[in-house]
Amino acid sequence: MKINWPSRIAFLLALIITVGLVAVGCVSGLTPIGWSGGTVSNGFLYIGSQQGRMVSLNLTDDGRVFSEALAPVSNPGLFGCSSATAGGGCSGGAAGVPVYGTPVVSGNLTYMAGYNGKVYAYNTSNLAVRWVYPREGNLQPFVGGLAVLERPGLPAVLFIGSSDGKVYALDAELGDRLWESAVSSDKIWGTPTAFGDTLYIGSFDKILYALNVSDGTKKWEYPTGGSIVSKPLIYQDTVIFGSFDRNLYALNATDGSLKWQFTGQNWFWAEPVLYNGKLYVGCLDKFVYVLDPSTGVKIAEHELDSAVASTPVVVGDSVIFASEKGIIYAMTAGTYEVRQLADLDVTVNGPLAASGDIVYIHTQANALERVNAVTGALLTGISLQP
Amino acid sequence: MNVWELIIQQPLVNILIVMSNGLGNNFGLAIIALTIIINLALLPLTLSQIRSSKRMQDLQPKLAELQKKYGKDRQKLAAEQMKLYKDSGVMRAGCFITMIIQMPVWIALYQSIYLAMAVAPEALLNLSRFLYPWDAVYNALPMGREFLGMNLASPSIPLAILTAATQWIQQKMSITPSTDPKQAQQSQMMLWMMPAMFGLLALSFPSGLAVYWVVNNIFRIILQYRVTGWGGLRRQPSQAAEPERRRLKFDAAAEKPKEEESSGTIEADTSTAPPMDKDSLKPSKSRFQPGKDRQKHPKK
Repeated sequence: MKINWPSRIAFLLALIITVGLVAVGCVSGLTPIGWSGGTVSNGFLYIGSQQGRMVSLNLTDDGRVFSEALAPVSNPGLFGCSSATAGGGCSGGAAGVPVYGTPVVSGNLTYMAGYNGKVYAYNTSNLAVRWVYPREGNLQPFVGGLAVLERPGLPAVLFIGSSDGKVYALDAELGDRLWESAVSSDKIWGTPTAFGDTLYIGSFDKILYALNVSDGTKKWEYPTGGSIVSKPLIYQDTVIFGSFDRNLYALNATDGSLKWQFTGQNWFWAEPVLYNGKLYVGCLDKFVYVLDPSTGVKIAEHELDSAVASTPVVVGDSVIFASEKGIIYAMTAGTYEVRQLADLDVTVNGPLAASGDIVYIHTQANALERVNAVTGALLTGISLQP
Repeated sequence: MNVWELIIQQPLVNILIVMSNGLGNNFGLAIIALTIIINLALLPLTLSQIRSSKRMQDLQPKLAELQKKYGKDRQKLAAEQMKLYKDSGVMRAGCFITMIIQMPVWIALYQSIYLAMAVAPEALLNLSRFLYPWDAVYNALPMGREFLGMNLASPSIPLAILTAATQWIQQKMSITPSTDPKQAQQSQMMLWMMPAMFGLLALSFPSGLAVYWVVNNIFRIILQYRVTGWGGLRRQPSQAAEPERRRLKFDAAAEKPKEEESSGTIEADTSTAPPMDKDSLKPSKSRFQPGKDRQKHPKK
C-alpha cells in the first residue's frame, strides 16, 4: 500500500492550523462585542445592546422599547475578526454593531455612538431615529462614549473622540458638525468630559488634552507614559484620570500642571468616582483603591477576584464594584469594608448603573442583570434582545 | 490564567512587546524578528522533519517495487516495507513527532501576535492580563501598527497574495511528482488548497498575522532549498518523454544492478535530461560527455 506522506502531512498541518485559527479567533473573545453602560433618566434606563440597538427599559414595569439595529460598515471577514468588523459570527455574542459608549440623554433625545463610526440621536419616547452623523458614509469606530454640554440659553453640544484621532463637536438638536479637531496622532477610545468651557479627553498617544469647547483648539496637554481610555473626572479644580502607565493622575484643570499621581500595578481603565470626599477607583491589577482626592494619598485598598474594568456606582452608603469575572462587591463608605453581593459568573466590562437600590450590570452575555445593593438579592435578568 | 497562557503565551507576548519597543516601536519588525528567532530555535526539529520527509519521498520508488513484488502477500509486504524503512534509517512517525512538537509553538506565536495587536477593545482589555510589571512593556503599549505603509491590524490584499504565493512555493518545493495518478491528483489538490486557504485567512485576519505567515514561509523555503534543492519547482519532463524515461530507468536498473540502490537519484537526474536513445545507457557504451563527444564527432 502506497502512502503519500507529504500529502498526509500537509493535510494534517492544514487541519491543525485551521482548527487553531478558528479556535483562537472565536473562543478568546478577540472580536468586538461591546460593553455599553446604562444611563438612568426620568424612570427609564437607556443602554446600547450588543446587537447594535438602543434599548429603553421602563424601570417601573420592565417594559422595553428597541430601536432599529445599527447598520454594519462592511463585510466582517471570514471569521469576523477584522479590525473594523461590525461584530462577527464567531464572536460568541449576538451579531450586530457593537456599542461601547454609554448613551447620554439631553432634553427629549437620547444619543449613542456605534462601532460602525456613526452617532445616532433617538427620540426618548419611541427610540425613532432623529438624526445620524455622518449622514453619508462612516467614520472610524467609536469606542468611547459621548459627552453632552448643556448651558443656559445655548444649544446643547455633543462631543466624542474617534478612532481616527479626532474630536467631533455636534449640534445636539440637529446633528450638524460644529467643529472637528485632529488633536491626537493615534486613536481616541476614551470618553470626554465637558466642564465649563473646557473639554478633557485622553488618547492612545498617551496624552490628555484640554480643548476649548467653542472651537476645539488646544488649551493644554499633559503627556503620560501610557495610553488613556479612562473618562476624566472633575473634582473642584482638578481633573483626575487613569493611564496605561499604571498611574492615576490629578492635574490642575486650568493649566494641566501635575498635582499628584498614584501608582497601581496595572492599567487604570475605569473612571474613578467620588463619594463623601473620597476617590474610589478600580484597577486592572484586581485592586480597588480609596484615595484622598486632594493629595492622592491611599486611604484603603481591597483586592477583588479579578480585574476591575467597569466604572463603579454609588448606591446608598456603598460604592458598588464589578469584577471582570462578574462578582459584584459593595464597599461601605467610611469603614471601607468589602462584601460580596452576587456572583453573576459572566464577564463584566461595562460601567455600572443604578436606580434606587438596584444596580444594573450589562454582561457580555447581552443581558442586563439586576442586583439589590442593600440585600444582595439577584433579581431576574432582562434580555437586551427584542 | 491557565498553564498554557502562563508558560507559553505570556512570555511570548511580553517578548514581542519588548522587541517592538527595542525596534523603534515597529511591531512589524518585531513580528519578523520573533518569527525568525523561533524558527532558528526550532531549526533542528524542522531540518529533521524536512530530511525525514525527503527520505520518505526517496523511498517511494522502492516501496512501489515492493508493492509490485509482494502485492498479494500483505504480511510479506509489510515486513519488507518495515525492513526497508529500518535499512534506510527512516522513522515513519518522525515527521509527525517533530511536527507535533512544533505546532504548539507556532500556535502560541500566532496567538501572541494576535493578542499583542489588540485589534478589538475586548482584546486590548484581555492583553492587560498578560503583561509583566516591566516599564518597558507598559511604555510600549499600544504598539505602532504601521508597517511598510500597511496597518497591521487590518487585512492587506498584497500581503494575502504574498502569503498564498510563498505558501505555494514552499508546498511545490516539498512535493515530488508521483507516478500514481491518484496520488498526483491529491498532491495537486493540496498544492492549491493550502495556499488558497491561507490567502483567504490572510484576507480575513489582521495583516500582522500575514507578516508572520510570509516570514515563516520564506524561512521554510530557504530550509527546503538547502535540504532538497528546488524540488518540485524544477521543470518537469514532458509527457512524451515520460514513458521513455521509465523504460530507460528499468533498463539501466536491469543492466546495472549496483546502481539500483540509488535509483531515486538516477531518476531525478535523468528526468531533467532530454530524451535519448536507450542504448546510450548500456554499460558497454561510455556516457555522453558534452565537450569531448562534440570534438570527437568531426574526426569520424
